[in-house]
Amino acid sequence: MIRKILMLLFALVLAPTTLPAQDGTTDVLIKSLAIKVKMYPGDYKSYAGLGAAYLQKGRETGDSADYELAKKALSKSLDLMSNDPAAAFAMTQMAVACMAEHQFEEAYTWAQKALAVGSGDPSPWAIAGDALADMGDYQNAAEAYSRLKLVYGSEDERQSISYQHDSRLSYLRLIAGDSQGAIQLMQGAVKTATETHMPKENIAWSNYQLGEEYFQAGDTTHAEEAYLAALQLYPGYYRALAGLAKVRSAQGSYHEAAALYDRAIAAVPYPEYAAALGDVYRALGESGKAQKEFELVEFISHLSEINQQIHNRDLAWFYADHGMKLEQAVLLARRELEVRHDVYTWDALAWALFRQGESKEAAAVMSHALSQGTRDAQLFFHAGMIYADLGDTARAQEFLHEALAINPHFHPIHAETARQTLAWLATKTGSSPVQEAANAK
Amino acid sequence: MKKILFTASALLLALFAHGQSLSRGLTPAEQQIAWSRSAIQAHPDKAQPYNDLAVAYIRRARETGDSDYLNQAEAALKESAKRVPGNFEGEKAHAMILLARDQFAKALQFSRMLNQKTPDDTLTYGFIADAATALGDYAEAERATQWMLDLREGNVPGLLRAARLRVIYGDTSGALDFYSQAYQQIPPTQTEDQAWTLTQMAEIQLSTGHLDEAESLLQSALQKFPGYYLTLGSYAGVETARHHYKRALDLLRQRDDSSISLSSRYVLASALECAGESAEAASTYKDFELKALKVTNEAANANRELVLYYLGRGNKPAEALHVAEHEVGKRHDVFTLDAYAWALCANGRYGEAKKQVDTILSVGIRDAAIFYHAGAIAERLNDHADAVRYLNQSLELNPESEVAVAAHDALAKAIAASAIATNNR
Repeated sequence: MIRKILMLLFALVLAPTTLPAQDGTTDVLIKSLAIKVKMYPGDYKSYAGLGAAYLQKGRETGDSADYELAKKALSKSLDLMSNDPAAAFAMTQMAVACMAEHQFEEAYTWAQKALAVGSGDPSPWAIAGDALADMGDYQNAAEAYSRLKLVYGSEDERQSISYQHDSRLSYLRLIAGDSQGAIQLMQGAVKTATETHMPKENIAWSNYQLGEEYFQAGDTTHAEEAYLAALQLYPGYYRALAGLAKVRSAQGSYHEAAALYDRAIAAVPYPEYAAALGDVYRALGESGKAQKEFELVEFISHLSEINQQIHNRDLAWFYADHGMKLEQAVLLARRELEVRHDVYTWDALAWALFRQGESKEAAAVMSHALSQGTRDAQLFFHAGMIYADLGDTARAQEFLHEALAINPHFHPIHAETARQTLAWLATKTGSSPVQEAANAK
Repeated sequence: MKKILFTASALLLALFAHGQSLSRGLTPAEQQIAWSRSAIQAHPDKAQPYNDLAVAYIRRARETGDSDYLNQAEAALKESAKRVPGNFEGEKAHAMILLARDQFAKALQFSRMLNQKTPDDTLTYGFIADAATALGDYAEAERATQWMLDLREGNVPGLLRAARLRVIYGDTSGALDFYSQAYQQIPPTQTEDQAWTLTQMAEIQLSTGHLDEAESLLQSALQKFPGYYLTLGSYAGVETARHHYKRALDLLRQRDDSSISLSSRYVLASALECAGESAEAASTYKDFELKALKVTNEAANANRELVLYYLGRGNKPAEALHVAEHEVGKRHDVFTLDAYAWALCANGRYGEAKKQVDTILSVGIRDAAIFYHAGAIAERLNDHADAVRYLNQSLELNPESEVAVAAHDALAKAIAASAIATNNR
């Protein structure tokens, strides 16, 4: 499940060199910069720093209100200084804020603005690439990442750029289906992050990301190691907690998985964590608890206008996964597709269409999701279910086998559905799990 | 080479590129104008969108060579000042307008004032460098450019200005290196910036006689920004150097469809003459002279071209000197001093001409026309050895320059004169 990966990548631009280690220091930094801008209202640098600090806060807490505060501070900085290479930092941070709010076109525009002032810092290429990747333009994203080279600067800055390059290229490799290449690059990024003494949260994120890539490749042992490394370095790190929960769930340790998800949600209530916890409860047969988590998913997703914008796709998947509000699921996925054309948005729409019974259109949409050769069990599972419904047994079997071959425990519910469907396809007797899934409204 | 200096002074930085999906059909400046206008609609009470609009118009002026856009930039700045009087970004845009209007002395003074106000602003140093370069104060230009690079290592505006200074100091390979580094950092959406930088690189190649390299760069520039008048002008220079006068004329006519400045009119007249279009050349020269005389006291003038015209086809050496003296009273850049030296020479004031030439060459510039003038002046002073050296330098630097034929003739005479002088000893 790498669908969240890129959203998390963006925040790493410049952060290693511009923000101190976290461990609760972000609040202190915000406070001190807020005092500074009050004292010196013409200080564009402090406003830009304040914006970056709010972004870091948002990254740490997942609270979308922080992104709006960041934008406000950055906008003030740019009012004071915009026609100068010095403005590149604020512009890049603005691009980061837009990425956080899923305004990909705007993010790309701000990244381009940052590049156009010619600061000599190639970091904005990272955000430009991220935005392009989210918009499904992987070729230009790769081109943007290839420009992450530092002509001038210290060895530390060079390492920071190399880190940005490797971690992002790793994602593109993953999308292209080269899991081993992706993992190698991410291992290099973790090494760079550690050797250059990046802030702990950043190193932890890198380890978490490596864990995600291992998990997607079906290597739960190394995934577990990577998540644990993140937690050891940065205890209570919610992303790593959720990652480890995923591993425990794959190992069948549902109680432990539930406890880990609980801790992650307590830190940052992401709807996808609540959905995953609900699924774990379902696997445990605790439908009451599962239902509560599912209600929480909707509550969080509708908490604010920005949340609705950010969680469109997650909610579409959630509804589709659980056979709820399927018209709404399709609508949300289509809305997301207006701004985002990456393989996972195509997948969300295909899955929602299938669950709504529109398997023919779903198959057409799914071909976009599979167009890059991404080797993700979730994608293959969805494709398999769609083709099974269309009566294309050979392709359905191929995709479902592929999903289980990549990761036999890719999802607490879906992995079992895949197995059942394969069994049914082999005999074509009894009720079809595909129909059950498709008709589950 | 004047063109490099002139256009570099209008080096105003690209701002506000837009996403690829927004960019279809619009130039970078037009996109920036559209973006700024929508920002004004969204925030009519804010000053900054008006500053952005002003910068966009200034940029459009560079894209098109149409100075009317500068008036629109000024109007936008007035709106900005109404909202936040004396705001720094607005004042910076004002400095850019002064530079674009060739008001270099005023620009220098104003930029110094801005620099005192905010000493860590990179571009303000750039404005100082631009104005100082145009006025011939290379020491100040160098100091300001160094500040830019010290403040922010490898920044594009700093690299571009450093490249320009390297050209003036005679280090063309170093200049190409800087331009190349800057070019690599310009995002692909900034097509005019890319084309501008490629054209500067081509000008260097052209000035050193590397015509194929120059052409290749210019073709790239035209691919990036089709019909760019600066590129077409340089391309005409390449074709002239190849003695393809008709082709050069076609390119200049194409350029003048979109932008016709006084200096470009002079270049067109020269091209017409080379292409054997005598009647049209004569009328274009006449038209140029009349118009250039009208603006001779203005900041944005064509005095250098007027001097060259009077010293050549116009055959009015006294008028040439008069105009050159007027211009040299305002600026001392190497190209103005060269025009002045050549005018002094044409009026028989060889000693004074040599003094000017020595000043020019002490800067380090390597330019075929300047070396030719230096050689011719030395010859008039019977300094045959220097004459031969300078004329050789001119021909070695660029065997295809516009003065190459004259330099060959002068060299032959100087060598002969030198031989006679040796025999007489």
